[in-house]
Amino acid sequence: MTKPSVPVGIVCSQSGPYQAMGREILKSAIMAVEEINGQAEFDFSIAPHIRDPRGIVSEYHTVCDDLIRNVGVEHIIGCYTSASRKQVLPIVERTDRLLWYPARYEGFECSDNVIYVGASPNHNVLPLVRYVLDNLSREFFCVGSNYVWTWETNRVTRELVSAANGHILAERLLELGESAVGHIVDEIVRRKPPIVFNTLVGSSSYDFIRAFNAGTKAAGLEIPMLSCSLCEPELAIVGPASAGCITSSAYFESIRLPENRAFVTRWRARYGEDSSPSVDGQSAYVAVYLLARALQRAGTSDIAEVRRAAAGYRYNSPQGPVWIDGGNNHCVLTPRLAVSNPQGQFDIFWEAEAPVKPDPYLTQLDVAVSPSKETSAGGALPNAPHLRVVK
Amino acid sequence: MSRRSSFSLRGRKALVAIKDERDATIVRRQFERLGLEGVAWTPAEPVDFAPDLVLIDDEFLPLLQPAQRAFLTRSPVIALLGTETPSRLKLVFELDPASFLIKPLRSAGIYAALVMAFERNERTSELKQQIFKLEQRLRSRRVVLAAVLQVMHSHALTEPASFALIRRTAMEQRKTIEELSAEITARGMLPRATG
Repeated sequence: MTKPSVPVGIVCSQSGPYQAMGREILKSAIMAVEEINGQAEFDFSIAPHIRDPRGIVSEYHTVCDDLIRNVGVEHIIGCYTSASRKQVLPIVERTDRLLWYPARYEGFECSDNVIYVGASPNHNVLPLVRYVLDNLSREFFCVGSNYVWTWETNRVTRELVSAANGHILAERLLELGESAVGHIVDEIVRRKPPIVFNTLVGSSSYDFIRAFNAGTKAAGLEIPMLSCSLCEPELAIVGPASAGCITSSAYFESIRLPENRAFVTRWRARYGEDSSPSVDGQSAYVAVYLLARALQRAGTSDIAEVRRAAAGYRYNSPQGPVWIDGGNNHCVLTPRLAVSNPQGQFDIFWEAEAPVKPDPYLTQLDVAVSPSKETSAGGALPNAPHLRVVK
Repeated sequence: MSRRSSFSLRGRKALVAIKDERDATIVRRQFERLGLEGVAWTPAEPVDFAPDLVLIDDEFLPLLQPAQRAFLTRSPVIALLGTETPSRLKLVFELDPASFLIKPLRSAGIYAALVMAFERNERTSELKQQIFKLEQRLRSRRVVLAAVLQVMHSHALTEPASFALIRRTAMEQRKTIEELSAEITARGMLPRATG
């Protein structure tokens, strides 16, 4: 007997400045859909309806409108940048649909019509900046793309650095897709900052990392670079110049969990031995599974029922246990820090000892207090990240 | 003391006067996410604490009792607007709102309205303090002028030299020029010439 089919929209850009990440999201989402459709435990199948907004912000609204009106989807997986999510928000709220958003983002949003599967700022920016303040430097040179993620990431960084009596030496911003990075590298070589924090995205970041590596090497400098977004497929795009970047993320291919080993094996069998999953791609994979399990539990695709069924349900994903905090629709994730190596992988050197509650509005943040001492009104914060060295 | 950041709302306590239950639910949920405590209230009820903020539905307007209006001037007010007609807005102006929200509410916009209200309130308070100080200085100009004239006569000085002497003495004695001038005119005590 044929299983009933649930239409699900998948919206990710296959061209434009962040096409590489859009393709990773699509590959992972499709892999999850096909796995789910082949599993007997699900009494339905997912019918994916793929749309490519080509990196054009207004196209996101157009394709979602089409998916909702003409295809009748109730659930959409996708969007990468915050600008694209903000385009889709009004339409999913007005029509009461659910967007499953896989990317990490800058926070300060909480819609009942969005499930935020990627990292909140307390999952990636906070652990990274605090690690650097405690271990490397109190002076930061910031380079980023001129859009909301960089603005907010730099604001949080500035607050933490200022509270530690450090300072931001410079904040240099480039337009999305901009490739003229030479003047920034020249300035870095001239000023020799102890740390460079890179929040550039897509092609700008790849160009910058290559130029930074060449420029600092020629000048005999060793300046650590920080990132909250760099992932394995991007390391492959950049090449050997990408080695040595200290990166904060909830997912790395090198996570030593059985679920991840199995995931990577399936990924390589499907996409080739030389390919690697990425944090945002893996997050899209997690989103499809969270949706499918919620659909199964709810017994309907009605979004209120699915949202209720999804909240608090623990899924042992490739990145470890993940569940949705029903209070804010963001995911509970495990923050990790790693350094990129010449083989195009990340060596994890720290992870939180337990999954950390999402704090999209940074309500629990005390800038002057170290994370292990942070408290909430009710006393000790149970999910504050504690240091645990990963061997 | 450095002033509290308007971006951090954790631990603040707000009075919430909303008629529609759906809107009230959205505000409650968003407050929980932001770490604010919201206390449900109707403007006729007494309030036994000093709220950090008041959220008030325009359906409660006009506030008929002067005591109610006086109470609302003590903390920033966010008005929830159902209609944008000038007659309704005129009533809203009586609250002197620091920010506003349009009904029906969504979770988006509430954080911005709260931050805006706290920041606007802080800036208004700073401006009021500045105006108060300037008004005090303006009032004391007569006293300063009288003191300058007294010193001009007693020390045979020009007006700029007399003022400079008063200013230097005030600095030495760690007083404001206005305080020292009041002493000179009230007690007839002249600052001792130091050079």
